[in-house]
Amino acid sequence: MKTIFEHSKVGNLAVTIRPLTVNEYKLDANLLRDNLPLPEVSEVDIARHYTALSKRAFGVDDGFYPLGSCTMKYNPKLHEEIATLSGFCNIHPLQSSDTTQGSMAVLSTLSTSLCEITGMDGVTLQPCAGAHGEYTGLMLIGAYHSARGDFHRTKIIVPDSAHGTNPASASMAGFEIIAVKSNEEKGVDLDELRKLVGDDTAALMLTNPTTLGLFEKNIEEISKIVHEAGGLLYYDGANLNAVMGIVRPGDMGFDVVHLNLHKTFATPHGAGGPGSGPVGCKKELIKFLPNPHIEKNDGKYEFVNSEESIGKVTKFYGNFGVCVKALAYILTLGGNGLKEASENAVLNANYMNANLQDIFDTETNRFCMHEFVLSLQKLKDETGVSAMDVAKSMIDKHMHPPTMYFPMIVHEALMFEPTETENKETLDEAIQVMRDLFDDAHTKPEYLHSAPNNAVIKRPDEVRAARNPIVKM
Amino acid sequence: MANYLTNTNEEKKQMLEAIGAQSINDLFCDISSKLRAKPLCLSEGLSQQEVLDIMLAYADQNKVYKKVFRGAGSYYHYIPSVVKNLSARSEFLTAYTPYQAEMSQGILQSIFEYQSLICRLTGMEVSNASHYSGATAAVEAVLMCAERKRNTVVVFDNVHPDTIEVMKTYLSRREMVLDIVRTENGVVDADLLANSLNDNVCAVYVEQPNFFGLLENLSKIAEQVHSAGAKLVAGCNPIALGLLKNPAECGVDIAVGEAQPLGLPMNFGGPYLGYMACTSKEMRKIPGRIVGQTLDADGNVAYVLTLQAREQHIRREKATSNICSNEAHCALIASIYLSSMGSNGLKEVATNCVSNAHYFANELSKINGITLKFGSEFFHEFITVSKGNSKAILSALDKQGILGGLALNDDEILWCATEMCTKEDIDRVNEIVNEVAL
Repeated sequence: MKTIFEHSKVGNLAVTIRPLTVNEYKLDANLLRDNLPLPEVSEVDIARHYTALSKRAFGVDDGFYPLGSCTMKYNPKLHEEIATLSGFCNIHPLQSSDTTQGSMAVLSTLSTSLCEITGMDGVTLQPCAGAHGEYTGLMLIGAYHSARGDFHRTKIIVPDSAHGTNPASASMAGFEIIAVKSNEEKGVDLDELRKLVGDDTAALMLTNPTTLGLFEKNIEEISKIVHEAGGLLYYDGANLNAVMGIVRPGDMGFDVVHLNLHKTFATPHGAGGPGSGPVGCKKELIKFLPNPHIEKNDGKYEFVNSEESIGKVTKFYGNFGVCVKALAYILTLGGNGLKEASENAVLNANYMNANLQDIFDTETNRFCMHEFVLSLQKLKDETGVSAMDVAKSMIDKHMHPPTMYFPMIVHEALMFEPTETENKETLDEAIQVMRDLFDDAHTKPEYLHSAPNNAVIKRPDEVRAARNPIVKM
Repeated sequence: MANYLTNTNEEKKQMLEAIGAQSINDLFCDISSKLRAKPLCLSEGLSQQEVLDIMLAYADQNKVYKKVFRGAGSYYHYIPSVVKNLSARSEFLTAYTPYQAEMSQGILQSIFEYQSLICRLTGMEVSNASHYSGATAAVEAVLMCAERKRNTVVVFDNVHPDTIEVMKTYLSRREMVLDIVRTENGVVDADLLANSLNDNVCAVYVEQPNFFGLLENLSKIAEQVHSAGAKLVAGCNPIALGLLKNPAECGVDIAVGEAQPLGLPMNFGGPYLGYMACTSKEMRKIPGRIVGQTLDADGNVAYVLTLQAREQHIRREKATSNICSNEAHCALIASIYLSSMGSNGLKEVATNCVSNAHYFANELSKINGITLKFGSEFFHEFITVSKGNSKAILSALDKQGILGGLALNDDEILWCATEMCTKEDIDRVNEIVNEVAL
């Protein structure tokens, strides 16, 4: 389809603003640009262009979205309305605190709720995304060790099954990364971990449930090993949706956690943000949290700075508008509702998994948590049909594919996370699609190789894109 | 209470049977009873109607000003209905990062168009898909410039204080040095800049306009920075670029900035939008998502996430950055804004900002006891000096539902005027200020 630039006709105007009410001021000609090549498009063409683009996109409202590790649950409409209330979105971040008590109450209440959910003692809402939260959490860990004069704790241990952001964030925060291997059950190999920890260990980063969708049963032992070596335990909250109200990171021994409000707390992903990546920590680390934080004194909220803070990680106070939606979600569900959400997320994943186990390999025979990973290696060996082929074929069935080829320790991996907001009927349809594709792989593999066959494009040439980058027009 | 769940008890029973579990609790048997959480100490769930009431009550505790003359990094602009309406479409809002190109062409094309619009605005050759905020974009831009033998970043005391704070944080645990250089008369001073440049400097960061609202001579700064072998990163207000020479023409290596003015509300500070664009030379070092145009298997034009060898999910600790989720939906808003405004509209917004601000500054400076702090050219922000009067002026305006400028101290106020205000509004402010200053 046409780009917005191809709709441009000189003299077209979509928006008009109030004519100047003062004399026009002319800046010195030396300061001015010669041309500004933005498109000139009428409002109706803008409306049709973006509507057409939206029809070539696929969101949770369009259908099943079992993208593992991403928690694509339903995003309630109420939250969108609330976030656009004038009393929230028309507030300048540098108004006096007398005039922003409502916003500060939102941030404070959300922080307190997240502390309770995670078992932490303090929370910052400043990080704008999960990876930004990871970075912030690791900076806290760095500050903690430095404040104790423990300057040689330079290493972060990361499982080989971890999200790519974990090692990348550790590197941004100035740490060296050591990978710890997984054991047969795809959990942390304890013997290996014992060998790796030492007086240079700053922390171990872990998701629990792990990226295999399994609960790390040895978590207490892991915590003991890391803490006895003088390190801290970092919780990647990507998978918190499995365990809200069931087990808290703080009770498992974690010292620092980050959450993804755009996963667990139902704020929309927006095709890649804005998210929000709050970071929680235990008491000893609170003083290092980013500035400013909110305190309530004599019934009034105030921004307060701490001397020992790691500083700021972004402008102002982070993605406030996202925080508003997450608080609305927590208030709606309440403590029991959050637990019920996790229970149903786990129920849905197990139901789907149980109905696919006879044809696809799963990693273990245990119950999974909120997501599960299938290996299609056997199918590929038998039919030549890959995980990618199956995933692309799901597009033809109007389903978003699961996460592909992750975690890297599973061959031909497809990682499904149905989430709790899907009903049995949808899951049954998805199960049937997977079973049909399994059959198709044996009877008409070429059809799967060329999938998707009904989408707006066929498979794109990614090598061409990277080799000869066309990144603008 | 609402919970957004859809399975009936009967269905749950059937599902448990299929799984071979007695109860949902069985599914959690890997979690030892010792670790199990007590019931969360949160309030009971509420109906949607009650939640709306609570949130409305919070919103009511904030003061929404009828008129806003404060900027300082968050700007009050007109947001066209077409921007709000189209960006709210749930296909955009509820989608994930477009990993699956075949079912995300609309998202990918919209990002490609965003990149193109940012490139046209800045004159640069490559834009990423967005960064968290203007401050984080600035920081990651200077990190892009770091070299083994060059580890010093030079900034000036006239850049946004939050940006300096974020830079301090990001450089603190790396072997990098942040040199904060004094400015003269509010702008970068050639001699002071020269003194700070040496073989260790990898990047110099300036803002256009700077935090005080003044315009910098970017071309001259670029020349000086380049002759010292360093790179120039400039944080440019995108509305100002409707009029000003683009950063590429001025010799800037990496253009970044806070794109909140492009259709995003003030939102108490976020979500905002960091834009980031560079020359093609720096393309493989830029952090974040990039969409490229290619062909599909049938030879039709298609869009994909590209140059992923830079990114964390491929390179892990060797990635150029850890960024994953960014501010994609804010970038969509900015795209619709720029497309709707078009070249004439953006110029007009910028012209109205600069004209209103100059009228405003001129009128204020006529008041006895009030002077402008700096004499050089500015865009839509400026600083007034009035001995000991900051508090009284702002409080008098506040009483009339007007958010005045930002008090920098007892004497100085940083004002901002955009296309949102009229001559009448400005005259009213002047009257009120006049009464206080007398």
